[in-house]
Amino acid sequence: MNDNWRESVRLFLLHRIPLLATFILIFLFSVPIHSGELNYFRPMVGVICIYYWGLKYPYMFGYASAFCVGFWSDACSSSPMGINSLSAMLLIFIIDRFGRYLRTAVFGLVWSAFGVITFILLLFKWLVLATYFGRFFSIEEVFICYLTTLMFYPLITAVNVWIQNNFLPQESIDE
Amino acid sequence: MKSRGGLLIKIGELKVFFQRLFLLILFLFSIFAILFERADSNITGTIDGAVLKVTGPIMQVVEFPSRVIHRIYTYFYDISHIYADNRELREENKQMLILQNKVRTLEVENQLLGRLLNYIPPTEAGFISAKIIAESGDSFTHMLLVYIGNEAVQKGQIVLGDESVIGRVEKVSGSYAKVILVTDINSKIPVVVERTRVRGILSGNNTERPSLIFTRSAADIQEGDIVVTSGVGGMFPAGLPVGFVSSVKGSEISVETMADISRIEYVRIVDYGLSNHTDEWQEFFKSDTDE
Repeated sequence: MNDNWRESVRLFLLHRIPLLATFILIFLFSVPIHSGELNYFRPMVGVICIYYWGLKYPYMFGYASAFCVGFWSDACSSSPMGINSLSAMLLIFIIDRFGRYLRTAVFGLVWSAFGVITFILLLFKWLVLATYFGRFFSIEEVFICYLTTLMFYPLITAVNVWIQNNFLPQESIDE
Repeated sequence: MKSRGGLLIKIGELKVFFQRLFLLILFLFSIFAILFERADSNITGTIDGAVLKVTGPIMQVVEFPSRVIHRIYTYFYDISHIYADNRELREENKQMLILQNKVRTLEVENQLLGRLLNYIPPTEAGFISAKIIAESGDSFTHMLLVYIGNEAVQKGQIVLGDESVIGRVEKVSGSYAKVILVTDINSKIPVVVERTRVRGILSGNNTERPSLIFTRSAADIQEGDIVVTSGVGGMFPAGLPVGFVSSVKGSEISVETMADISRIEYVRIVDYGLSNHTDEWQEFFKSDTDE
């Protein structure tokens, strides 16, 4: 009985590792760098992490996790509350619907699909915020953000792979 | 056996139903959070404040290496430019000395005229310095998170960086305050072009160059004109520098902020005592127009 309880707690904590890793990454990327030029190149780390973990472990990273990541992004980036949660849930919805085609695909294809999905996501966010504020945002900055996110994708993915290999070995989850 | 199978199907259906309900709740919660945030509700303010209280201290620690690197870079950058800077400063100093004499004369003249008119000067503004600990992480918001410690800061107070307006306090939570920058899409500041006294609204558009809108005559505005606060509306006192006109294309006027917001490490939150009276003034103007 005691062992069962301990095992449940262990599994619960293991399943929260992707969420915790995403929180830390978002937090690190929102630290001010006090450099004019570099400030333009801030990727949407939350989106990359949700995409990675949502594809890799859909049972660990669902709508609730995406919602929390969105809320955390809002808080860390000082965005209006709820905007990132909404787009994060849309991302999980897309992964839920089309993820099965990407789970076994090669990295290049996964990256390309990420490009398309992020584009849809940014467009959605852009439209929601345009409705919210009653005016359109500068598309140039959004485009820079999009390209930066695409460029940072392999790097953030490599970090996520490292976390997965070191903290989430397959056998420890399957046990 | 059959009834047990049926029960399992029912539990399964119920599970799916609750999952969908949970999803709907999360979805609605996000939408309501957006709407409440727009309405400046206390609910989102409390959640936001709670998160700020947790992330603020950690952010301060994590930000430290970045600040050190930036200082080292600035140190070497300054050394490499020391000769040019020195020549420029000497030239500037000559002009400043001339201006200083002029200012002294004007100050005396001003005091004499003030006495003649029985003029009551406005109270001196108090200020605190605050360290920037976080910046907005995406292209949809232009905000800062600053550490204010135990100082009494209120919503609406003006934030200066390098002696010019960079924004205003949007939210205060414990030892932290959120600052909405003049470049943010939500920022609207009544301004006046110093040279021609043409009034307008400096409207943030989420780019580095906010637009000057609602100006009566764009023809009276030239590139390089200094833009200062007009004091209309009561949120900002008049005469604070904001930026200068960077381009005039028909009725589209762009303004470049005087302070390089992205490089600022510390800001000054100034209390002119105006934020307390904003509601009173709004009431006053309302009753004035009703009459």
